[in-house]
Amino acid sequence: MAEPGLTAPILEVHDLHVTFTTEGGPVPAVDGIDFAVAPGETLAIVGESGSGKSVSSAAVMGLLPSNAQVTGEVLLDGRELNGLPGDELRKIRGNDIAMVFQDALSALNPYYTVGWQVAEAYRLHHDVSKKKAHERAIELLDKVGIPDASRRADSYPHEFSGGMRQRVVIAMALVNDPRVLIADEPTTALDVTVQAQIMRLLDDVQAEFGTALILISHDLGVVAEVADDVLVMYAGRAAERGTVRDIFFRAAHPYTLGLLGAMPRVDVPPKPRLTTIPGTPPTPGSITTGCPFQPRCAYTHRVGERCITERPELTPRPGQGDHEAACHLGRRPEVLL
Amino acid sequence: MTEELLNLKDVKKYFGLRGAPWRKAQSVRAVDGVNLVVRKGETVGLVGESGSGKSTLARVATRLLDPTQGRVEIGGTDVTKVRGRRLRPVRRRIQMVFQDPQASLNPRQSVGTILSTPYRAQGIRPTRTQLVDLLKQVGLAEQYLERYPHEFSGGQRQRIGIARALSVKPDLLVCDEPVSALDVSVQAQVLNLLADLRDELGLSYVLVAHDLAVVRQVADRIAVMYLGTIVEEGPAAQVYEAPAHPYTKALLSAVPVPEPGVDRDRIVLTGDVPTPIDPPSGCPFRTRCYKAQDVCATERPVLEPVQGSTEHSTEHSTGHRAACYFPEPPPS
Amino acid sequence: MPDLVWFVTRRLFAALLVMLALSLAVYLVFYAIPADPAHLACGKPCTPDRLEQARHFMQLDQSTLQQYLSFLKGVFAGRTFGDGTAAVHCNAPCFGYSFPLARPVTTLILDRLPVTASIAIGAAILWLLFGVSLGVIAALNRGHFLDRLAIGVALVGVSTPSFLLGLLAILVFGFWLNMVPVNGYVPFTESPVDWAWHLITPWIVLAILQAASYIRLTRSQMLEELNLDYITTARAKGAGESRVVLTHGLRGVLVPVVTLFGLDLGGLLGGAILTEKVFSMQGLGDLLITAVGSLDVAVVVGVTLFSAFLIILANLVVDIVHGVLDPRVSHG
Repeated sequence: MAEPGLTAPILEVHDLHVTFTTEGGPVPAVDGIDFAVAPGETLAIVGESGSGKSVSSAAVMGLLPSNAQVTGEVLLDGRELNGLPGDELRKIRGNDIAMVFQDALSALNPYYTVGWQVAEAYRLHHDVSKKKAHERAIELLDKVGIPDASRRADSYPHEFSGGMRQRVVIAMALVNDPRVLIADEPTTALDVTVQAQIMRLLDDVQAEFGTALILISHDLGVVAEVADDVLVMYAGRAAERGTVRDIFFRAAHPYTLGLLGAMPRVDVPPKPRLTTIPGTPPTPGSITTGCPFQPRCAYTHRVGERCITERPELTPRPGQGDHEAACHLGRRPEVLL
Repeated sequence: MTEELLNLKDVKKYFGLRGAPWRKAQSVRAVDGVNLVVRKGETVGLVGESGSGKSTLARVATRLLDPTQGRVEIGGTDVTKVRGRRLRPVRRRIQMVFQDPQASLNPRQSVGTILSTPYRAQGIRPTRTQLVDLLKQVGLAEQYLERYPHEFSGGQRQRIGIARALSVKPDLLVCDEPVSALDVSVQAQVLNLLADLRDELGLSYVLVAHDLAVVRQVADRIAVMYLGTIVEEGPAAQVYEAPAHPYTKALLSAVPVPEPGVDRDRIVLTGDVPTPIDPPSGCPFRTRCYKAQDVCATERPVLEPVQGSTEHSTEHSTGHRAACYFPEPPPS
Repeated sequence: MPDLVWFVTRRLFAALLVMLALSLAVYLVFYAIPADPAHLACGKPCTPDRLEQARHFMQLDQSTLQQYLSFLKGVFAGRTFGDGTAAVHCNAPCFGYSFPLARPVTTLILDRLPVTASIAIGAAILWLLFGVSLGVIAALNRGHFLDRLAIGVALVGVSTPSFLLGLLAILVFGFWLNMVPVNGYVPFTESPVDWAWHLITPWIVLAILQAASYIRLTRSQMLEELNLDYITTARAKGAGESRVVLTHGLRGVLVPVVTLFGLDLGGLLGGAILTEKVFSMQGLGDLLITAVGSLDVAVVVGVTLFSAFLIILANLVVDIVHGVLDPRVSHG
């Protein structure tokens, strides 16, 4: 892991908005977020269902369906990606920015061998013979730790275990030496011992190639372990962002604090009760004014009307670097309780 | 000694695989000889990775599946062979909560109908008050009675699933991954609810889960499964603080902790869980074990009391036991 | 591969049993018809004596079961009607003997099969290409003009009776525009060009009628397919839209299409009755209809069984092709 903030970011996202046009009217799924990630660095985007974390990454890749309207800047090494014509964007997808998906079984095409699928990713961006591409595929499968790769390349996805399939997906993502890797819940579908293997693999890859990693996850344990920076999303907006230590040790947003309290831990004796956040995450677009977290927030009474009427913007908080939280509460919430 | 609600004796569940006649008949040994006792008032956590057989065991315990071999006793009576109508009294004592509340609630039935189904299966017509009380018990308001499953969030649906299971006032709830489909903030609500219900109603639970942190939060006793067998069992605190089986130790060390900089001293296991069609000889874990020796391939180790366990082991031991030739020494 | 051999063996054995049961059923049904084929054979005037003679010669004086057993024997060993100089031989495999046509049913079927097969196979290739491509185009333009157009074509195809479309085609292209021959069949071996030229109209007519279900099936499958995760993966890899659709999407669409295609083709090979009538082609359908009219029960039974056999065969081929198209399908 590189020291955060020392290198210039490779990928920057500014004021990203994603709105879906639906029969029931426009639904804002992402409502103005900023993030950046530097080579060798890991940015974790954390949130629950409907927070917009997966939509954000799909928007970066230009993978959203046609009813999605994306505005804002997506800069790869200073080059604007948002609004690029399809052909241009296609050259970047899978080449400069690659993606690892949550469920490797459904992310791999069941009708083709894994070797073919990895080779295809290579051939889409390199003018090489099928044989060369196949060799490259085997090289990558071997690198991600698939035993007997040259033989296993001829197997189909369903003939692999869950962990091995996720390695295939990672091999496919790495085959073009991408500069940015977006991993959307890469270990959620895996068993914990396999998760440990995959996280170690991603860590090794990053160390070797200096890849910038965007990790999208709901698992604060995984995030604490691998992230340099963290962006906490709630209802399509940034609730809080900062270094991993800022977020875990100096959480300034009641939502972040609530999430941390709601996570049971394996390494310490259990608390009699978990801290909970009442209610459920809002569906996108259902809260239009004020703070989206306000209906579930335990601190609203400390602030009052402002939480309902005024949308909180990210403001600096004490911490290591650019620690910011979007909350009207001026001080750290846990001190107040 | 408190009452035994559930007693599984050497339970096996094999699923047959069909093949060409010249092939040896194969079967998936989902559960391969499990003994487990659940007593009144306790919460037993059944943990393991996919393919460990924990969900199959839960279904055998609730008599949703017939065991291939072994005995299932519920409330002291052998119910292994009980079928059909005669299962009703069994179902009154033991109920199941499923992982995916979306799939386990009939979308065409209102919550009221869903909640009254178990009553009707027992030949009872529930009053509205009874149904409303059920809803209140799981923290839902009366007006939800007329609504349909799709109108609820995942957490609320799981509450309805729990309410349905509670309707016949069972002694034991078998919960199969009850929170794994839920968001973190909602998961905590449901875990707290389970704890509250235990305190209020004196319920017992078998909590089947892959998430070891979730299980630690609620379980008194833990059984760790690997390839259809229990490899370690004991009071939660002891198993978590001082795991004796190398698998448990590796499993626990692999769970990430939401605190940056914590040194996990991780044991990363190599390879995958072997296929339950052809499990390794001797100790099922030996192929991935960092301590495996020749003896591990000979005979399957049996559960034996762990050194330094605070309780003495008897036939009905609740002490800390592990099935390993080279258990981890107790912490000094 | 041994798995596939076993699979085919098993299925062929099952097919044999089905054919046996089916032949018995067909036999019983057609011989229950209160019409006496011997009447047609005995000539005029038909004295009771001559009728009895004819019945004996045609072996109709045996019990139904006996007749069925003779029929079965004929399939494997052939059979002989009458004796001496008047004897009629029907070589194995004998599926009955048509006295009105004075030919064994097997010969009749083999004579007519090329006609029906020419119509069916040519039309099938056309409707497969036409239906699948229109279906793909419709899916890719969902909700837009081309989609509506394809659905419209499908609707017309589904709801138009084949004789109407056939007669219209003959009227317009045959008589008014004088572009194509209006009837008749030229064997492929005689002149491939004339063969195709005579068949082009029935091919197109049948293809338009049949393509409808392929358009709709392909469209809905493709829409489902395009929502799958591996399609997103293909896009994320940088694949262009045509590659996404044709390489990654179409493969999954083909599996159900092949199922439908196999059964349609199998059914059509048993006789395209209306098409053959409209275009005056002497295929199996024509044979069957004529036989029904002349109470030629032997031919009716034979053609019915042959059609059934084709359907069973088509099913088997479809299942084998599934294994080729989808690596997840195991024939074990």
